[in-house]
Amino acid sequence: MTRRKTLISAFAIVAAASMAACSSGSGGSGGAAGKPQSGGDLVMARADEATSLLPSVPTDNSAIWIIEEIYSTLVVPAQDGSGVQPSLATKWKQSADKLSWTFQLRKDAKFTDGRPVTSADVKFSIEQVQKKSSPFAFIDAVITKMDTPDAHTIVFHTAKPWAPLPADMALFANSIVPKDYGGKSAQEFAKHPIGSGPFKFDSWTKGSRLKIVKNTDYWQKGTPKLDSVTFNVVPDSNTRATQLSSGQIQINEYPSNSSIKTVSKTPGLKFSSFPSSEVDYLGMNGSRKPLNDVNVRKAIRLAIDKEGILKSVYYDRAKLAGPYLSPTTWAHNDAIKPTKFDLKAAKAALAKSSVPSGFTTTITISSGDQDASAEAQLIQSALAKIGIKLKIKSLDPSALYSAKGAGNYDMAFGLYTTDIVDPDEIARFGGTFSGGVHTLYTWFNSPTMNKLADKASSGSDQASRKKDYDQMQQIIDDNVPYIPLFYVPGNYSYSSKVHGFKPGATGNYFLEKVWLSK
Amino acid sequence: MLRWLVRRLLLAVPVVWGVVTISFVLMHLSPGDPARTALGEKADAASVAALRHQWGLDKSLPLQYLDYLGQLVHGDLGQSLYYHSSITSLMWQRLPVTLVLIVFSAILAVLISVPLASRSTTKPNGAAALVVRLFNAVIQGSPTFFIGSMLILFLGVRVAIFPAGGYPSSLGSRAWALVLPALTIALSIVPLLVRGLRAAMIESYSSEYVTFARSKGLGTGPIRRRYVLRNAGISGVSILGIQVGALASGALVIEQVFAIPGMGSMLMTGILNRDYALVQACTLVFGLIVVVVYLVTDIVYARLDPRARLS
Repeated sequence: MTRRKTLISAFAIVAAASMAACSSGSGGSGGAAGKPQSGGDLVMARADEATSLLPSVPTDNSAIWIIEEIYSTLVVPAQDGSGVQPSLATKWKQSADKLSWTFQLRKDAKFTDGRPVTSADVKFSIEQVQKKSSPFAFIDAVITKMDTPDAHTIVFHTAKPWAPLPADMALFANSIVPKDYGGKSAQEFAKHPIGSGPFKFDSWTKGSRLKIVKNTDYWQKGTPKLDSVTFNVVPDSNTRATQLSSGQIQINEYPSNSSIKTVSKTPGLKFSSFPSSEVDYLGMNGSRKPLNDVNVRKAIRLAIDKEGILKSVYYDRAKLAGPYLSPTTWAHNDAIKPTKFDLKAAKAALAKSSVPSGFTTTITISSGDQDASAEAQLIQSALAKIGIKLKIKSLDPSALYSAKGAGNYDMAFGLYTTDIVDPDEIARFGGTFSGGVHTLYTWFNSPTMNKLADKASSGSDQASRKKDYDQMQQIIDDNVPYIPLFYVPGNYSYSSKVHGFKPGATGNYFLEKVWLSK
Repeated sequence: MLRWLVRRLLLAVPVVWGVVTISFVLMHLSPGDPARTALGEKADAASVAALRHQWGLDKSLPLQYLDYLGQLVHGDLGQSLYYHSSITSLMWQRLPVTLVLIVFSAILAVLISVPLASRSTTKPNGAAALVVRLFNAVIQGSPTFFIGSMLILFLGVRVAIFPAGGYPSSLGSRAWALVLPALTIALSIVPLLVRGLRAAMIESYSSEYVTFARSKGLGTGPIRRRYVLRNAGISGVSILGIQVGALASGALVIEQVFAIPGMGSMLMTGILNRDYALVQACTLVFGLIVVVVYLVTDIVYARLDPRARLS
């Protein structure tokens, strides 16, 4: 959904919040924790509707964040993204030959229809994700065979030694569904999904709201605190902001950047940023001249005033990016610093290139994205100073997607996030030619990157894996196929009555820990 | 009458076929791949190819077109690629919402326009007329999403009479929640209606039958109700009929602003995700709505004005 952020709507937001400030004045607990209370119905507003609640189908956050509440996975990501923690599995171990992983399941976990969760359910669930038409088939492709020696043991055999497997098992797509969908067809099951998570599916009015209720039989006793959570679809960002001020909702999933200031000033409302794995970057098509010249790309990197963009477009709600792996992963190479804005050095770099006096190129942005448009204009005026004439062209999001995939563009913005807590997925996606989309549509192809990624995923010692990832980040930094611009947090505005809301680096909401004060 | 109706319905067939064909061609020619959009950029090429095959997108375009027409003839709107469910069932959920919204706003538009128009015609150069003209100019100059946001702001937050968007589950509060969006859409056609009505009323006031009624000693009220409004109403009906297209497209935008789960938000989602079948179905249904409303307008027109016969 395109989110319009026009001047008018920005004005509306400011006016709305100031009015709310005048009229509400209800105060609120101001974030004081206190003793967690049970009960209450939490209402969240989001921009888009969930696509499907079948774990093997969706790629959209709207669906993913609900799936994580309805189903359980073998393990869950730690809130800080540093590793995984037990969930349905209590213990897991890699075999001595490193070619298999054995997981022990807990015995007290039940699906909401009363049946116990067994290893047969796990096997069935993973097989669904391995099907060719599933978006995350690539994650489970390494699993060659699954054994179920008893009801509470599952053994994954892998094609090669595979350190990221526990992290893979924490992926929402690998959520455990009942074997054979409890005798239903996939489509029928998707209408009334059954899981073993903290919440139970209640109802779904397509286009409007999806409600989940407390699973009273959840194996983690004492949780969840909330009686229910309702996800309302509210496409317009102004309307979401006003609904929050008027108390119609408690959490706004996507507050617009321009609304942040007024929200944090309004009594009874809070705004928080949570560390997320999101990296926003500027991609360059290295299969085209003169962007195939590393000196040109370096000149562009030097000429961009990232701090200026951070202030005026991101309202300071992000960090300048250095290496391509974000600080939320342990593999982040903090020796690589963000490139300093330096026009002189930029000119010097361009002088060494094939086009010393500059050239004309195009940046393609997503139509309706006001932030991208502002950002592109800032970059346009920066590049003009070193003789690069940048034209701005806009395409609708789906068309832009295709253009990038076909290599039919010069420069474009993009973003990536990781789905698992292990660095393997994103290191490959952002760094290797075959591990995703031609190294983020740049056509940068380095065999060394592939070798390093393979070596890192087969090693089991984190320190030596870190060395490989450090080197991968160094190669990207040296060759500049794309420019990591910002590490962007997850932004939420919400009522001060909401406590314990702390989304993880992989986006998980952990709603079982959330409670509402009266 | 019956023959006329049959002929009109037959004439509607090529119109609807044209709508279907144009939307099919436009959707399939626009760049973007629904399979890639559904699977995300991380999925590998084999997965995308598998899904394209599953959805029949690897067939040639003429073949897909014939398949689609065959489906339509059997009354099947196809499967939504994005929502993973049958479009017919989605339509049953979404269409009533939008229809209610359109009818509601048409009623409001009439309720607002008629008093405004008659106010401004009793003294065509008086203060009331000036206010109405100013109101018309301001409303016509403001985009609907802006009017919507402002209404939410004043009547939803500041004076919290109405909810700030949303679509509650109980019927009573649902009707209440539809007032602001319906008002917003209504306002978008009010200026046109007022102007049309006003012109027709002024013309009517200067006609001989009004002079005759006056000389007979009838008061202003009865003259306005019995002669002027009745005659001016004929042009009002045809303006309203023609503007139903505008009401429908107004609903498209306003449903987004007010978070109403109607056809508009579904069409937007469909377009952005290249959900071919869904967009085609929505266009088809919108097309049908307009065709039917034009038909109804003609019938009403003929009832009001005996000079226009249905033949």
